[in-house]
Amino acid sequence: MIGDCLKLTVYFGESDRVDGRLLSDALLDLFERAELRASVLLRGVEGFGIKHQLHTQRFLTLSEDLPLVAVAVDERERIERVLPEATALVGGGLVTLERARLLSDHVAVGELPEELNEATKVSIVLGRDERIGERPAFLTVVDRLRAAGLSGASVLLGVDGTVHGRRRRARFFSRNAGVPLLVVGVGSGAAVIDGLAALDGLLADPLLTLERVRVCKRDGRRLAEPRHLPDSDPSGLGVWQKLTVHAVEDSRHGGHPLYVELIRRLREEGASGATSVRGMWGFSGDHPPHGDRLLSIRRRVPVVTTIVDRPDEIQRWFRVVDEVTDEAGLVTSEMVPAFHAVAPETRRVGGLRLARLRY
Amino acid sequence: MSVLVWLGVAALGGVGAVLRLRLDALVQLRTDGEFPLGTFAVNVVGSFCLGLLVGLGIGGDALLLAGTGLLGSFTTFSTWMFETGRLAEDGEARIALANVGVSICAGLGAGALGWLIGAAA
Repeated sequence: MIGDCLKLTVYFGESDRVDGRLLSDALLDLFERAELRASVLLRGVEGFGIKHQLHTQRFLTLSEDLPLVAVAVDERERIERVLPEATALVGGGLVTLERARLLSDHVAVGELPEELNEATKVSIVLGRDERIGERPAFLTVVDRLRAAGLSGASVLLGVDGTVHGRRRRARFFSRNAGVPLLVVGVGSGAAVIDGLAALDGLLADPLLTLERVRVCKRDGRRLAEPRHLPDSDPSGLGVWQKLTVHAVEDSRHGGHPLYVELIRRLREEGASGATSVRGMWGFSGDHPPHGDRLLSIRRRVPVVTTIVDRPDEIQRWFRVVDEVTDEAGLVTSEMVPAFHAVAPETRRVGGLRLARLRY
Repeated sequence: MSVLVWLGVAALGGVGAVLRLRLDALVQLRTDGEFPLGTFAVNVVGSFCLGLLVGLGIGGDALLLAGTGLLGSFTTFSTWMFETGRLAEDGEARIALANVGVSICAGLGAGALGWLIGAAA
């Protein structure tokens, strides 16, 4: 296990450009040059940013500039090396840094670092066409995580990325076998230890990260509030928080899709942004894993929605999330130690020095 | 049909597409629901205008230019179907059916109204 790793996340738009090139290409080229261990570019289905303009694949005219999320994980120095260039590229969007632990080769761990015991998010990078025996690898991985007692997992399909330092980009006429997908699971520390043990030796070239989270809600039941964190750490560096809502199967609120209602409410209440990414497979609680079925028009795939904001604002958005997830949904909260938002009018908020809080 | 009419259809088709994009976005960004009101608006407005043209007795090249060229690209069948499909994917069967039913009724009504107004003028 490599303890001191960072996860860099950039939230931006599909049509954002820098020097005449697509920002998504520029960012992933940068990750490729830096040979980052793991990076994935995810396409969102719905979201909004600081301008509160809705982007959604539900309406054709509003789907021209869908949200994108680029995530990269590596050792701290390697991420810090790409940071200045990455932030210089982003003309409008949000850049965050989070602490993570990276596992490769042997994924089984006897015990977890203490702070991961309450709950842990495990993200596993797999090839789109990677197989374990005859089955697609993500099916087996999700089954094992579920058997180990994780609260839920979603499989998110990437369209570009780097795996073990090598570029894996989806092309139009290609099998795209190596293009990364992410399996994101959440569970108690004990369940994650069991899950990792069940995955040991199973993956050809394992690459996964562990992050500290808190499980706030599951299947409509409230388990905890997001931790009440101060606005800044003892040295004065800003502290931010992230709420993640995993809407599973066709989770609904008031008869409408959960993610649609959530984005609508957050926009109404004046949140500064939210992004929904649709997965292709997943499970929650005791329900069996599910995905789309042949000849079924209605989609049964997970949608993961993310909100990042200041701690006091997060308490506000949690009340919105709480209402919308009255019937279903897995809600987690995390601390975000560095946050840098760039609005098009060159308004900048936050910075990328990591805050340090003991909690 | 002369080359000039061909070019006219192409040019007006482009104008219609741009107008459609503008009106669609204008309406859609002002509504908050799941109903694709932007597409609905362009189709109803387009039906009214086509009814009006026919009611006014416009025919020949003029109808080809304004009807097929301008209104043909202004209104959209494919987006209507696409957005209905997306509603069905999200499990919004009622809104999906309403999108089909209401659009047909409103489109027929708008076309008839335009024709009546045109014929009376």
